Amino acid sequence: MSAVIFFIAAIGAVAGAIGVIALRNPFYSVLALVGHLLSLAALFLLLRAEFVAAAQVVVYAGAVMVLYVFVVAYVGDGSQPVGRGGSGLRVAAALFVGALFVELAIAMLGSGLKAIGGDGAPYKAGFGQPAAIGQALLTKFLFPFEVASLLLLVAAVGAVVLARRRRGLTLGDEERDASRFVTARPRFTGTMAEAVGLVHAPQDQRENGAERSAGDGVEPPVPAPAGVRDDEHGGW
Amino acid sequence: MTAVFAVVGHAEAWWIQIVKSLILFIVGFSLVPVALMMDRKLLGRFQGRYGPNRVGPLGALQPMADIAKLISKEQFRPRTSTGFLFALAPAISVLTASATFAILPFGDVVDIFGAKVGLYGVDVSIGILFAFAFSAISFYGLMLGGWASGSRYSFLGAMRSAAQLISYEVSMGLSLLGVIMTAGTLSLTGIVNAQNGMWYFIPQLVGFVIFMTAAFAETNRPPFDLPEADAELVGGYNTEYGGGRFASYYAAEYFNMVIASGLAVTLFFGGWLLPFGIHPPHWVDPFVVLGKTILVMAFFVWIRATLPRLRYDQLMSLGWKILLPLATLNALVTAIIVVVTHS
Repeated sequence: MSAVIFFIAAIGAVAGAIGVIALRNPFYSVLALVGHLLSLAALFLLLRAEFVAAAQVVVYAGAVMVLYVFVVAYVGDGSQPVGRGGSGLRVAAALFVGALFVELAIAMLGSGLKAIGGDGAPYKAGFGQPAAIGQALLTKFLFPFEVASLLLLVAAVGAVVLARRRRGLTLGDEERDASRFVTARPRFTGTMAEAVGLVHAPQDQRENGAERSAGDGVEPPVPAPAGVRDDEHGGW
Repeated sequence: MTAVFAVVGHAEAWWIQIVKSLILFIVGFSLVPVALMMDRKLLGRFQGRYGPNRVGPLGALQPMADIAKLISKEQFRPRTSTGFLFALAPAISVLTASATFAILPFGDVVDIFGAKVGLYGVDVSIGILFAFAFSAISFYGLMLGGWASGSRYSFLGAMRSAAQLISYEVSMGLSLLGVIMTAGTLSLTGIVNAQNGMWYFIPQLVGFVIFMTAAFAETNRPPFDLPEADAELVGGYNTEYGGGRFASYYAAEYFNMVIASGLAVTLFFGGWLLPFGIHPPHWVDPFVVLGKTILVMAFFVWIRATLPRLRYDQLMSLGWKILLPLATLNALVTAIIVVVTHS
């Protein structure tokens, strides 16, 4: 049973990791990374490290990746796939991959692959449970733990300072003038005619709109041949 | 077979676990129509009208009629949507909601025909973190649904829900630190047993208020229903959904409300314990928990009928500038009190 779960989770983890670099759409890359992290959490569960598994899901899948998804969904347009990158980047990537491969090969061959045949370390009662991890963090590893929390605090303060410097629009900062936010739009946009699927205003309305909008300083919509439906931009 | 979770309380035979999960599944999904009916009926009474009263006695079969209607509808999706994600997203929502239900304890380990059975799905050592892990995954249900719909209303709704979930999850976790430190365990049955004598909503009143506020935000219930603010966004992340998939989202939403109520009962209202030293036989325990859960659900409806929706910037400043510092302060004060009284 645990072997079945192990192979499902391991295949999920490897497939997710490959998906992150192989998929061209950044949104799917992020989703593949989420799948990879969830599979890792399942592997942690098999090792009876419940707290680590929960932390993995809550922190990485639940907080870090949420921000990634947030940004990619807003900024990364899926219709523009990521490019291949310059030749310098590719050479550097090849160098790093080679270095990583050599490192892993040394680590694996250095251990003599003895651990594969063995049963691994025995399970101690209480291992991986929150109590055991808390005990370890607050006694044996107190100093690194406190240093890491200090580092996170510095990062949080730095993020706040960086966000402040941009002087984004905050309430009460300055008087808000609603007219500044109203952007010019063609008369036709947002009418029932658009709602029923016409892409451009009917001829008589368009002239009407052009007259009125001339006073507002709004460009009249570009006329299109009658009866042509712009299906590429339709749908919404 | 090695158990995937190292179990704190009691591990049953495999067939008992299967029976238990089936019962939990049935009970959980029976609570969803109850929650739906309560919502509509009570809301009607709060607004001086009857609410649904046509289908069945007192309108009690209305949720069944709704479900039958939704499921028998034809599936459709917008041309701009992404097929498999569009279908996957509601499934994630329902799955995470029903998985979280497994940790709600309805009673301690009892003897049923000679077999020792814990009246809960699973009593994991990480306890409440299990619920947080699944609520973290449930975010993807909303987000993928909104994104894969290929619609701006859906996308804006999903974005709002993302921001809201991130903001309030932090306060929710911090508000429970007080409870966990006082009880000295993460296990939910352990927390209920530690409330013997005094329910935690008295010593942890601040934590309770923060938890309930964050729970309203996490379940997208009014006054925090900005992800689906009907006046602004048509329907939020589920605008483009219809039929069975919409029913899944709807069920998951009410399921989350049931779970939030159940967690509040477990963490702050003593689970299956009764006040004034009343100790009924063990078979009453699950009904005590269910009764308390339904009372908390009525509170959810009451708040919905009472408070108007928050504006977006109010939502954010409430979460980050009021609830978060308050929750941190509560955890700090509780920690000091626990250390002083235990030494």
